Amino acid sequence: MGDLALFVAARAALAAIALGTTFAGGAVAQPVHDRNGKTSGLRLGAHGTLLGTYATPVLGGEAASEAYLTRPVLTALFVGANGRLRASGTLNLEGWTLVDGELNAGMWGEGFVDRRHPHTFLHELVATGAISLAGIDASLTVGRGFAPFGTDDPMVRPFVKYPVNHHLAQILERWVGIVALRRGPVIVEAGAFNGDEPTSPESLGEVDRFGDSWALRATVLPLAGVEVQASRAYVESPEHVGGRGLDHRKWSASARYEPGLGDFAAYALLEWARTDEYADGRRLYAFGTWLVEGALGRDRWRFAARWERSTRPEEERLLDPFRTVRPHHDDNINGATRWVTWTARAERSVTVGGLSVTPFAEASRITVAEIAGGIFSPTDFYGDEKLWSLSLGARIGVGSVHDRMGRYGLAAPGGTHH
Amino acid sequence: MSRSAGLLIAACMAIGACDTDPVVMGPDDDPFDGDPIAIPVLGRGLVQERVTAEVAVDGTWAYTTTWGQLQAVGNALKVWDVSGPIPQLVDSAIVDGAITLGDVQISDDGALLVVATEIDNGSIVVFDRSDPAHPVMLSRHMTDATRSRGVHTVKLGRVDGRLYGFLAVNTGGTGRGQLVVVDLSDPANPDEVLVLPLGGPNLHDVFVRDGYLFTAEWDDGISIWDIGGGGRGGSPTDPVRIGGVETLGGNAHNIWWYHAPGGEQRYVFVGEEAGGAIGAQSSGDIHVVDISDMANPREVAFYTIPAAGAHNFTMDEENGILYAAYYNGGVRAIDVRGDLGSCSDSEREAATDRCELRLMGREVGVALEGDSYVWGVARSGDFLYASDMNSGLYKLDISPLR
Repeated sequence: MGDLALFVAARAALAAIALGTTFAGGAVAQPVHDRNGKTSGLRLGAHGTLLGTYATPVLGGEAASEAYLTRPVLTALFVGANGRLRASGTLNLEGWTLVDGELNAGMWGEGFVDRRHPHTFLHELVATGAISLAGIDASLTVGRGFAPFGTDDPMVRPFVKYPVNHHLAQILERWVGIVALRRGPVIVEAGAFNGDEPTSPESLGEVDRFGDSWALRATVLPLAGVEVQASRAYVESPEHVGGRGLDHRKWSASARYEPGLGDFAAYALLEWARTDEYADGRRLYAFGTWLVEGALGRDRWRFAARWERSTRPEEERLLDPFRTVRPHHDDNINGATRWVTWTARAERSVTVGGLSVTPFAEASRITVAEIAGGIFSPTDFYGDEKLWSLSLGARIGVGSVHDRMGRYGLAAPGGTHH
Repeated sequence: MSRSAGLLIAACMAIGACDTDPVVMGPDDDPFDGDPIAIPVLGRGLVQERVTAEVAVDGTWAYTTTWGQLQAVGNALKVWDVSGPIPQLVDSAIVDGAITLGDVQISDDGALLVVATEIDNGSIVVFDRSDPAHPVMLSRHMTDATRSRGVHTVKLGRVDGRLYGFLAVNTGGTGRGQLVVVDLSDPANPDEVLVLPLGGPNLHDVFVRDGYLFTAEWDDGISIWDIGGGGRGGSPTDPVRIGGVETLGGNAHNIWWYHAPGGEQRYVFVGEEAGGAIGAQSSGDIHVVDISDMANPREVAFYTIPAAGAHNFTMDEENGILYAAYYNGGVRAIDVRGDLGSCSDSEREAATDRCELRLMGREVGVALEGDSYVWGVARSGDFLYASDMNSGLYKLDISPLR
């Protein structure tokens, strides 16, 4: 799709979301079910969140209030060949709506800090084919999307504010090739991808770096609703596009629980992850995270809570204090900080015509502490070591939505596995 | 009896003669043999609102830059009267639109002061030093070649009587760094005469002397260029590469080409900045490269301190002492006279076949270890000035080592 067509389509979708009208109409194909009960056909969706955030302190004791259209996405999912072929795409328009990022205390990465960076326009576009051989199911996924590492994208989890650990716990927006094998309750994925992370919303990554990085993930489904994974990744020079920056060695383990509880919809996640940064085989830095989150819903109400304890590097900032030099200058950082965040959220969904509208309120209490003895002082910089973030908004959407984001083929619930 | 007199007598006894001219000495007749001395600290000029960066000194005047962000951003050049034991702040200049002033240099005739700005609005700022207590800005050179992520370091050098600024420019991590050469013959109107992509992933620093240019190219090691003194037809506008070497561990950060009193010009010292948390932790060695054959330099020795890292150097060449800013390791004085590539097996790292200067007993002085984070050092006579990122400017008495 050319830039102009992309622009026009995206703007139309944005306008539709903002105005609360259904833009898709007959463009949303009716799903059909194959003989295995799987959805076949094409499903489209458009979603976004109107958001107002008040945060205090943000810098030097000062508070800030901002409003956004965040997470504006167009999604498409095609399932065919009795579920053996699947294509999925997500167009993310934050490059237009979050040019300067979104206030998100503690969040960092891709040159932003304390603001969540906009994702790339081409957030995800993958195709998967699956076969069965000798009692083993196998799938191959190629395209641009998530490496088989860590947990689901925060975009499809209960909260509007991202956890601090996003860049420790997921690897996304890469050119990937992923083989997944499943036998019984055990799924193993191996993937190759390009290590460079996006440098801008327009970034398409360095295709010629495909294969310089890899990830492995093992998942066990021991009981209904329980998913346990452990994953390992080597990411070559994510911050230096030319491949001459620090390399990352990453670990992740998590347990996810989504039981069937009658009228209740429940969800829980326990996550641990760690990233070690290396220069020529020598470990320079290590950052880690623990996170627990859960949600409980009934009828149209849902309540969620999250606790997170993550460390992050403090990097040299630009004149814009929410932007950082990347990659590290001289391989140095200005210190490291530990972020402990408590978040609570309540939401109630309604349907207006064909439009799903979910107003919500979300509050976070954040404590930040310096841990490496560097020159960065949270108290000096923020004006306090205790921060608040309050958000009110409404998630608005039409059509289908990706329930999970970060797994493909046999590793995706409801995917091509039997 | 003063320490220096004692050292002189010890040296006389060791070598059996007392020449008034400096002599080239080896480890066996080392007057500094034994534990390194604690270099006396005379005083400190405090800087609390900003992070202090590089220091330059001329006589009784010193200049420090500021870096990054503390309570205020690093946009200030500070002017110090260092005639007394405690540096006294007498003036400061704010550079508009800057967040980091990294490097500062004084021209060989003392007339100019040049400051680099980086991160945002990369440039060099040229000051007139007619009144050294109150430098006056003459010009600011900011072009497409310098602007992106800015000028990380600037070194001044005179070639065929013409003053040039050699700028190491950071391009932002997407490609290579670049060398930018600026003709400062008319300091009010700097003239950009060369832009040369160089270094992987960046060009960090240069050293200019006698018509040679040395470039510290991070993981690409160092290169030696003829810019008018090497007889290969090079010039500042068209450097001719003579040779180079990738120093072990990469991260080639800064360079000093040592001219020994006896005329030997065999060694260059290369700082390796290997990462750390600014203000607290650091790592990286000093690499000794033998350039007897400039086309084929080879690393012959190194200096290392556990849990500390090298940063910028200066030298007391007359006495053969290299002073290294060593971040959380403070200031280190290293005796670099004589043959640095010859040592016993116990002083040699077998895996790399390099001599280890500390094991050779060549560390002769230490200061500010443990309670500072030293960015740079500059010498004037018997005094060494050390810029501590955490607290300001120190004045040290190095007469015991002279």
